[in-house]
Amino acid sequence: MKKITAYFVLLILLVGSFSVVVSAQSNNDVLIKNASVLTAARGTLENTDILIQNGKITRIGKGITAPAGARVIDATGKFVTPGIIDAHSHSMLDAINEGSFSVTSMVRTRDMLNPTDIEIYRALAGGVTGALLLHGSANSIGGQSTTVKFKWGHPVEDYPIADAPPGIKFAMGENVRQTTFSPPPGTPLRYPRTRQGVIETMRDAFIRARDYKQAWDDFKSGKTKVQPRTDLELKPIVEILEGKRLVHAHGYRADEHLNLMLLADEFGFRVATLQHGLETYKIAPEIAKRGTGASIFTDFWGFKLESYDAIPYTAYILWKNGVNVSINSDDGGRMRRLNLDAAKVQKYGGVPEQDALQMITLNPAKQLGIDKRTGSIEVGKDGDVVIWNAHPFSVYSRVDTTIIEGVTYFDRAVDAKMRMDVAKERETLEKLDINKAPGTGGGPPSRPAERRRGDRDDADNGDGGNN
Amino acid sequence: MLGLVAICLLYGTEAQGQSYAITNAKIVTVSGATIDKGTIVIRNGLIDAVGANLTPPADAQVFDATGLTVYPGFIDTLTSLGLPSAPVRPQGPGGGGGGAAAAAAAAALQPASNSNYPAGLRPEDAAFNEVRAGESQFEAVRNAGITTVLTIGRTGIFNGQSTVINLAGDSVSGMVVKPQFAEHISFATLPGQYPVSLMGTFSALRQMFYDAQRLQDMQKAYAANPKGMRRPDADRSLEALFPAINRQMPVVFNANTEIEIVRALDLIKEFKLNGVIAGGQESWKVADRLKAQDVAVLLSLNFPKRTTASSPEADPESMQTLRLRADTPKGAGKLAAAGVKFAFQSGGATAVGDYFTNAGKAVEGGLNRDAAIRAMTLGAAEILGVSDRTGSIETGKIANLAIVKGDLFGKEKFVPQIIVDGKVFEQKEAPKPTSGRPDSGGQGGTPPNAGSANVGGMYSINIDVPGSPISGTLNFTQAGSALTGTMITQAGTAPIRDGRVTATGFSFAATVPYGGASLEITVQGSVSGNQVSGTIDTPQGAVPFSGTKNP
Repeated sequence: MKKITAYFVLLILLVGSFSVVVSAQSNNDVLIKNASVLTAARGTLENTDILIQNGKITRIGKGITAPAGARVIDATGKFVTPGIIDAHSHSMLDAINEGSFSVTSMVRTRDMLNPTDIEIYRALAGGVTGALLLHGSANSIGGQSTTVKFKWGHPVEDYPIADAPPGIKFAMGENVRQTTFSPPPGTPLRYPRTRQGVIETMRDAFIRARDYKQAWDDFKSGKTKVQPRTDLELKPIVEILEGKRLVHAHGYRADEHLNLMLLADEFGFRVATLQHGLETYKIAPEIAKRGTGASIFTDFWGFKLESYDAIPYTAYILWKNGVNVSINSDDGGRMRRLNLDAAKVQKYGGVPEQDALQMITLNPAKQLGIDKRTGSIEVGKDGDVVIWNAHPFSVYSRVDTTIIEGVTYFDRAVDAKMRMDVAKERETLEKLDINKAPGTGGGPPSRPAERRRGDRDDADNGDGGNN
Repeated sequence: MLGLVAICLLYGTEAQGQSYAITNAKIVTVSGATIDKGTIVIRNGLIDAVGANLTPPADAQVFDATGLTVYPGFIDTLTSLGLPSAPVRPQGPGGGGGGAAAAAAAAALQPASNSNYPAGLRPEDAAFNEVRAGESQFEAVRNAGITTVLTIGRTGIFNGQSTVINLAGDSVSGMVVKPQFAEHISFATLPGQYPVSLMGTFSALRQMFYDAQRLQDMQKAYAANPKGMRRPDADRSLEALFPAINRQMPVVFNANTEIEIVRALDLIKEFKLNGVIAGGQESWKVADRLKAQDVAVLLSLNFPKRTTASSPEADPESMQTLRLRADTPKGAGKLAAAGVKFAFQSGGATAVGDYFTNAGKAVEGGLNRDAAIRAMTLGAAEILGVSDRTGSIETGKIANLAIVKGDLFGKEKFVPQIIVDGKVFEQKEAPKPTSGRPDSGGQGGTPPNAGSANVGGMYSINIDVPGSPISGTLNFTQAGSALTGTMITQAGTAPIRDGRVTATGFSFAATVPYGGASLEITVQGSVSGNQVSGTIDTPQGAVPFSGTKNP
């Protein structure tokens, strides 16, 4: 009798503890119980519950009862933040640079999304739920960007955020001038080769786009009879002039970023973000005045000549001047530690906790025009949240669960089980005749070929993945 | 290699007016019920009659096919047969490092053309113009039972327009079954000019489709009333796309991985093309979309196989690789279950026998046997738009027949007679090396294993990696049947291993640098005069190569 009772107690304990982690979920509703919630909008709420229904945050408060079918996660002693958004990434792209021309506004990163890139899953394991996927920095005007949520396991068409404004990559400096690498002998030099040439290339593109828009306007108003050509290069530049496409401009030196903003003034648009911007601390008021954002590294510099005049206080100085600042990764590895890059902003200058957290959540969401739906934990926003085992600004913190629109895309416990399942599957697969080495009847299989990334430009490879 | 299996005798009999009858055969008509024992009468290159109770006409030359099975001639829906292989690129100074020399070589490769578009973006290139007659190129394939192929080059982004040919005839004009089948597209890049990246390839394609649409509209408007309108361009590259954008000509996309196929399906949808997928290694993963968009697949039977030997230091193979090998043979069955139209193709590079044995593996993997045969005959003809004239054994259709001994999908399969356009090609079975004393075969053929070829020396070769051909050099030193030496490509030099001289050529293994990693390959080549050709097996699949012996 005693034995049976003990057995039952054990069973209840097991079932009970299991149900806390994953109770039967019949829809995508999730109730996170009893967490320290870093909202990135209204401070930190202790012992607080978050209810996500149909992908949206519907309630934030204490003692919320789980609706039928909802998954309940006990987050006692844990921390919850909004999903991290990386405003500068090249993950999941099968090609990054179309390095032929200096203006390649016709190419689209959307065409290159590869939903099987393992960097997506690793980003989720670092609490990243969304990213701006940018063309590389080889060209004055690079390709069109894509703003995605990392819906790992979904078909590629589910990744782009449908209502995110379109964007485009601009770039200035050494990569565009092609001075950081030697082209193969015999390759003709590409214009522009100087910084003044870069800005001229941009101005020329805007003038051509203005003429192109005029040609279409004349046709639409009946002034001309023959329909103009659809020009995939100039169409996106017209969208910039119309304020419909966001410019994300790679650059390091303050003079160049300032020049670009002056060019934007001339053509009547606002630059959305200055990317990298190691010297933006020199022009903080000029940036703030225009409502332009800065998306920077916290303390990464010195990787090429134009990247030396940098300080770790840039984020603080920009913030102090009222610039919308985000901290980005530009790298699949750094992407999964963006929480620590935000923590460093507190150290250098003492940006308050919530403002530092916003630099990897709400601020990039604003820069990408998706802050209506994500970037902070507020009722009505998408249920994009991360559960951490410790404060995310602690080096001891780890992501336990990453949720996008109520669906769990990374869970540490599920991951552990998956590793075992994959090991079993590997064992089965390796025993198949088709997978055995020829002639020998088996043996350790061969080294897998590294994924090719040949289309990154050499400058990017040379400067630490600094696209 | 085929010499080990069969001695091929060309009859090429075409009895004009006279009829030919195959009697006592099992007849797999494909279009109708199989006839267990029946007769097929052929006259004037066509099937004159077929049935169970049919008496051959008095003038017929009769072939008693007791114990044999007659199939419609098999169709390989993607090859480069009959097309000249890409010229061998000269080596740059110091082993090919020179960019200028490479650029010059690339320029030399550009066919003379006054198109506004660079080589690789010229949809007007037509296999019909390039294909050449000549028995020696077709013999090995035909002897396996394949009578009809789709042929198209594999270079550039627009590979050009493919053509359907029968594998017999002295002239191209006589061989062609359908001069233009489809426009073929590879997701490739151009060397040294836009588009140099895959991303640019999609934009370049889009711009050309838009421009073709506009040019067509303007030409129509101009034809209706030229006065007061500036004359539209006569741009034959764009004009060649008119049939594609009007859905009068299918557009075949070479796509193997799931994401490549999805990208192709997106383009097909965007430009409302009559799309076809070729390759389709992972097409089963997107079967629902293929079905929904009514896109057929020319499914490669070049199944991935492990070619690398064991090595104690090697890392484990990736799960992706392990899964791919296990899953690929099951793909055809899944496509069939989902209702996707598909036909088989040899995948360009396999030994021709693999076309049949791997179709058998697809059957083992869950594909209905009849469906497999259909995908090699009538189903293929339907996708290629020639099912009104070939693909099944029916009265009035082209007399394309394969008479098969043994299991079609088995290793022992033999094809004693192949009939193409009514021409009868006969081959006699070679004695098996294990069955004792060779039987002379009666016609003075070379006995198998008669001796090793002399293959020592240096060869310039061109390796036909889809989208980005690689040039290289083979240096062989022969000692009896053993072979040593090096293989040199742009990426570096690799010593050869396990080099052997075979009856018709050579085989070896090597670890070669490729794309920043090293690749385990095995190479089979045959040497004929100063010509060399063969197949390189890699973990990613097999690629063909060809070249010449340096004097």
